[in-house]
Amino acid sequence: MTASGSRRRSGFAEDRRGAEQRNAPSDAPWRDVSRRLAAALEAALSTFAAGVLAVLLVLVLGSVALRYLFSTGLVGAEEAGLWLFLLLVSLGMPLAASGPLAMRLDLVARRLPQRLRLPAGMAADGVTVVAGLTLVAGGTDAAGLMGSTSVVLGLPDWLRPAALAVGGGLLIALLLLRRTAEGLGLSVLLSVLIGAGVYALPVDYAISWPPSLVALLLAGIGLLLGAPLAHCLLAATALAVPFGSVLPVPALVTNAASGLSRFLLLAIPFFLLAGGLLTVSGAAERLVRLAASLVGHRRAGLAQTTLLTSLLFSGASGSSVANAAFGAGTFYPQLVKNGYPPAQAGAVIAATSVLDNVIPPSIAFLLLAAATDLSVGALLLGGAYAGLVMAACLAVAIHLVHRGTDPMPRATGQERRRAFLAALSALGLVLVVVGGIRIGLVTPTEAAALAAGYALLLAVAHRSGRASLWSTFRQSAVEAAAIGLLIGAAAPMTFLLAVDDMAGMVTGFVTSLGGQAVVVLLLCNLVLLAAGLVLDIGAAILLLAPILLASAVAAGIDPVVFGVILVVNLMIGGLTPPVGILIFVVSGLTGVEARKLFRAVTPYLAALLVALLLLCLAALVL
Amino acid sequence: RSASARTTALAVASLLGDDKPETKVWRRIEARLEERLPGRFRFRIVTNGALGGEKDVADGARLGSIQASLSTVSTLSAWVPELQLLDLPFLFRDADHLRRVVSGPIGDGLKQRLAENGFVVPDFIDYGARHLLAKEAVTRPDQLQGKTMRVIQSPLHTKLWSAFGAVPVGIPITETYNALATGVADAMDLTASAYAGFKLFEVVPYLTKTAHIRSSGVIFFAESFWNSLTEDERAIVTEVSAEAALYFNALMEQDEAESLELAQANGETVLLPEALSAWQEGARTVWTAFEEIVGGPQVIETVRTTA
Ligand code: NA
Ligand code: NA
Repeated sequence: MTASGSRRRSGFAEDRRGAEQRNAPSDAPWRDVSRRLAAALEAALSTFAAGVLAVLLVLVLGSVALRYLFSTGLVGAEEAGLWLFLLLVSLGMPLAASGPLAMRLDLVARRLPQRLRLPAGMAADGVTVVAGLTLVAGGTDAAGLMGSTSVVLGLPDWLRPAALAVGGGLLIALLLLRRTAEGLGLSVLLSVLIGAGVYALPVDYAISWPPSLVALLLAGIGLLLGAPLAHCLLAATALAVPFGSVLPVPALVTNAASGLSRFLLLAIPFFLLAGGLLTVSGAAERLVRLAASLVGHRRAGLAQTTLLTSLLFSGASGSSVANAAFGAGTFYPQLVKNGYPPAQAGAVIAATSVLDNVIPPSIAFLLLAAATDLSVGALLLGGAYAGLVMAACLAVAIHLVHRGTDPMPRATGQERRRAFLAALSALGLVLVVVGGIRIGLVTPTEAAALAAGYALLLAVAHRSGRASLWSTFRQSAVEAAAIGLLIGAAAPMTFLLAVDDMAGMVTGFVTSLGGQAVVVLLLCNLVLLAAGLVLDIGAAILLLAPILLASAVAAGIDPVVFGVILVVNLMIGGLTPPVGILIFVVSGLTGVEARKLFRAVTPYLAALLVALLLLCLAALVL
Repeated sequence: RSASARTTALAVASLLGDDKPETKVWRRIEARLEERLPGRFRFRIVTNGALGGEKDVADGARLGSIQASLSTVSTLSAWVPELQLLDLPFLFRDADHLRRVVSGPIGDGLKQRLAENGFVVPDFIDYGARHLLAKEAVTRPDQLQGKTMRVIQSPLHTKLWSAFGAVPVGIPITETYNALATGVADAMDLTASAYAGFKLFEVVPYLTKTAHIRSSGVIFFAESFWNSLTEDERAIVTEVSAEAALYFNALMEQDEAESLELAQANGETVLLPEALSAWQEGARTVWTAFEEIVGGPQVIETVRTTA
């Protein structure tokens, strides 16, 4: 995904560079120095972050090994893991501010007339500056106020907000360097001034709106300006303080820190790593050959192969984004070579990558479990069924859409056997993850670490170069930091929503409509589909799940079944404009315009909605 | 305008739902304060842990986002390590023993230390005794040898179960059911009411009434909130909270009895520990390891000999 990030620069920066070059003479020496400094900073940060990820992996694998080989535990391993993850997020957050990882809603910014783009871009940078200042100032103050010592690690707790403060400072520093390198030195200085001014506004606004609503509105404005989603959430909750928010800025920062300090969430970097290493090791390609030997001879054989491979890949990886990136790298050239129009090929890849976050293991379910205290095991089992239903619906849609394409020759029994044997090592990963959890050898987080360790062994056995291994670690570390920052940034917003009792209000509203399960389910689906239009999957889960789950449980719907429906619903949002992360990733890697992909993916969207309908019917019957 | 200016809003965090003692105690405090000081406070009691776990809530109290809550002493020992005295295993004989200790000079000293760290504590509370829960019957400590034990992340707990030869593994409470069901862990310890609350009797059918640790806690108010009260108001809040602490203890005791009944109705086997001296011997290693932290061996001796 970082690969796509570097290839695909954020929209307005390019537009603005064009505008700037026409208006101002180039100040080349400054720009050159800034460019080199930015590159050096980025390289240092990604190396550090990758190192932290490697230590994290050793830590979790080490504690499993100690338990089974030496019958002893590692005191404080979990807490040490959480501190390392926080460090990873702090180091990686400046890197995740550009590219698809930033989760910018740049469709509005792109539609603006040329003369408005520069101011809009400056305002968006201003949002990033406010977020960075919030972390710097709040983190520093919180560090001075905490006063506690981790009983387990014996380290002072102030280190945690301090890490976020450093991350915030680096975020602003890298923004300054990048924009200066782009020739936007003056406008970024203006952004900093605006941001600092807004941050320091000494106003006490006496309005009667709930502070959480104000914060949501502010975040929405930031999103429309094209600022990164996580920055919008942080900036909005900080700016809600004068509107009566109960969360002072230092508390906001510790809140963000504890939001991402949940042991389950440690599985995220490991699943990202496993997905990346699976591709590097060539194991993913062996999965492709197996799938091709099984379904390649059917109508639209290669598209069906894409689907089946995605399904197999899903069993080992927990990230739809990794799946989409893998599909775009492996299948896209093949599909186009075999006569699929580019947009059609990209649409198949984006749509089938949805499965990854539904079929266990799944980062979406980990987030849901962390946000709602539902059991991961139960959710994953539900996800397995849901994923199969979705895959079946997608298979039918592919069959109907691609009437004209030629099938591939049917594989012989021997070829199938050979493909199966070659793919065994990759299928073993599925066994490690799903089996490890279900047989009871390991917790989900440990299973994720085992998966990453196993994939690392595959990669080493495959003689993948040290450079490509290391770059996979860096890539996964930055992706994990982006997701982690989003989780942290959503925590203060959920705090405000909880204090204003939004869940109670929503439940009350739903009950006033009669409160039958059908009505509740229908309403929730509408809310979720609408949220999926503009919100990232992770943020939507963290913000909405606790609120909607309360209504669903009150209406007598099984919380786990509802959780599965919620995730499926939001995953569909990954394919819809304006924010469709899966479309963006595929677009970034293949060069097909997002606009065309959104159109081509429509039949698959319809198929997934049919799957959603089936799941909802099942929820009502069960 | 002047009336509303004197109304102070409090965000109060509760980890559990409306029907649990953890929330009921705050509804009681809210109601009693409304009688004594009408219109003075506006409570926002946020339930089900929506404002975060215990440590997050305690951080929030210091940083000004949360004004009051309950907390176990384990969590607050991040600020006041001496509090671990109350967590020492097999030190407290029963609820009355604990109550006498926290009501005496030792309790006053701990309250003082908490106040110095920003937590104003009107009174201590008692969550009930922690018992041993296992997939197989365990009545003697040697039966724990080599078993995987789910523990909370605390050196005190880890040390205790290691002393009996168990392998401690840290698992979040929400994943504990799965871990025990699948066999990642063979045993754990918990209070009876939490045990029933998480329906753990489905996966750990043997409860041994070891009562090794009395899980104690406090009702606390944030210093910043406390400083906004007049001397008279502080006296009233203290009085109301102290009364609520006893109410909480009574609710908890009742909840404990009901939980044990519920568990037994669900096929749970309740056992009594054997070889009590062997259990206590293991616990002594924890006392020794923590005696300097809790204020010296004489403090432990004072507690032990408190009538
Ligand atoms: Na998956
Ligand atoms: Na969308």
